Amino acid sequence: MMRIINVRSVARAAAVMALTMLALGARAELMIQITEGRVDAVPIAVVPFAGAADAPENISDIVRADLHRSGQFKTLEPGDMLSRPTSADQLSFRDFRVLNQEYVVVGSMQKTDSGAYEVRYGLYDVAREKQLITESYRPPASQLRDVAHAISDRIYEELTGIQGAFSTKILYVTFNRGAENPYQLQYADADGARVRTIVRSREPVMSPSWSPDGSKIAYVSFEKDGLPKIYVHDLASAQRRVVAQYKGINGAPAWSPDGQRLAVTLSKGGNPDIYSLDLNSGALEQLTDHYGIDTEPRWMPDGEHLVFTSSRSGGPQIYELDVNSKSTRRVSFEGAYNARPDVTPDGRYLVYVHRRNGSFNVGVQDLQRGTFDIVTKTDMDESPSVAPNGSMIIYGTQYRGTGVLQAVSIDGRVKVELPSKEGEVREPAWSPFL
Amino acid sequence: MRSFINPFLAVILAGLLAACSSTPTEEDTSSTDTMGQNTQTTPTTPVERPKPSKPETSSIPLTAENFHNHPSNYDGTTDTRVIYFAFDSNTVPAAAFETLRAHAKYLKENPNAKLRLEGHADERGTREYNVALSERRSEAVQKFLRVQGVSSSQIETVAYGEEKPAAFGHTEMDWAKNRRVVLNYTAGRP
Repeated sequence: MMRIINVRSVARAAAVMALTMLALGARAELMIQITEGRVDAVPIAVVPFAGAADAPENISDIVRADLHRSGQFKTLEPGDMLSRPTSADQLSFRDFRVLNQEYVVVGSMQKTDSGAYEVRYGLYDVAREKQLITESYRPPASQLRDVAHAISDRIYEELTGIQGAFSTKILYVTFNRGAENPYQLQYADADGARVRTIVRSREPVMSPSWSPDGSKIAYVSFEKDGLPKIYVHDLASAQRRVVAQYKGINGAPAWSPDGQRLAVTLSKGGNPDIYSLDLNSGALEQLTDHYGIDTEPRWMPDGEHLVFTSSRSGGPQIYELDVNSKSTRRVSFEGAYNARPDVTPDGRYLVYVHRRNGSFNVGVQDLQRGTFDIVTKTDMDESPSVAPNGSMIIYGTQYRGTGVLQAVSIDGRVKVELPSKEGEVREPAWSPFL
Repeated sequence: MRSFINPFLAVILAGLLAACSSTPTEEDTSSTDTMGQNTQTTPTTPVERPKPSKPETSSIPLTAENFHNHPSNYDGTTDTRVIYFAFDSNTVPAAAFETLRAHAKYLKENPNAKLRLEGHADERGTREYNVALSERRSEAVQKFLRVQGVSSSQIETVAYGEEKPAAFGHTEMDWAKNRRVVLNYTAGRP
């Protein structure tokens, strides 16, 4: 399925790409930069679209940034282009071939009388001088960013065989010390733009989780009386309800693949165990019963197994639970601290936090081959969350003493920073395909 | 020794230690007697006991390792509202015993007083696991107070994990200050 990547680019590309700052809109709090890209990233030229500079959102800039941020592509700066065609008939393949570009994207966006925009673009194979995609859209101005991400998704899938995840969202918690409401739950586009605040609180908010259809989220908030409650929150209507407020811990909600249940951690039985909460009936089923700590559940894609963190062998390790038989088996064996698992959509890889020499890093365990690899070079990593196409892991870490988000590809070859302009950002949760 | 003892056993042992008022080990220099059963550390003043006050601590340097059990953190009265814990531990430190006994005495004498035990962890490790660890700390303090005879209806616990740090830096000493249980009177504050 994966396209064979042309090896011509290997010699040219540096392992560490130049830090390319991507300035975002005034509302954005996240900025994104690639710190490490693939040496075999595919060269692609996204030529500035006709009319893009005058539109409220510059679609060609957004597409170029999306592809660059994926780490799979090495994008050509417009200033380095020999010509800037905006339609197929203006395109001279030679101008891009001499710059060793493998693909070129040309297009235009024009405001229509109705106020909507007419967006047209084409993707071309430079070596074969062949058109691969041509599409047009008619979005209102408010949906220009959505169209840009949809174009990125289409191009990404055409060239890699993998569904693009540029139209997804990231949910995360921010902390601004000293603010009236230091804890906020927010979400943004996967590129950090269009930040929306869901909850503002004086008390902690933590452990956000998406419903599988992306319409709802669950999280833990201590906003009432300083005690933890689990909320289910509908994003479109902003309606929410408390689904767990037992004595002790109400934590770590994780939505089942069918959207009907939440796996949660409750300590009402005397110590933290994992329960399944039926969201329709409110019925609670205890899934683990051990005097050790059981927490941080994540559903496997089959909906019949959970992975979770347990201290039953001493320190925290990853265990798998059969929801029907309630039997458990230990999954992680490397080192003395493995916690907070997430799983790729195909169920093949577990990603979790691993402690080694006092440093906390994100590790990837291949359940098929049995291998385990550390994929980050940062320290104090936590809360890894896998993109819905399985390509990237977003996680929280510290940079210069403050909480930031970073992303890394499953193979560890691409690293992306998402520094915050103000305060701490943590606990990212990557949305499903929306 | 910590690492070999089942945490529950450790808590029970701590409770027994407290109940028997035997002299705690480690670097505890504070007087430990509240029940009149144990020997004084200063035998020259067997009758006229000094009021509980900050012990002489200048000789013991305050380090991140001994912070949780350092006498300077505990004045033996209900004025002390924070109990610190060693790394990866939910054992109530011996230096805090007298302080906790003072709280227990107060709670027993004031049945309307209500205490919330707020458990906290340092920032290392994952967040929900740290919530669970911090709950074990608040429960260890709860068990200590229960062994002293405090009614369970007067105590509630809440686990904040690493979400509400007291110190915002990232050094060993910051972490030592964050591994704690805060004694928060929600009614009948002394």
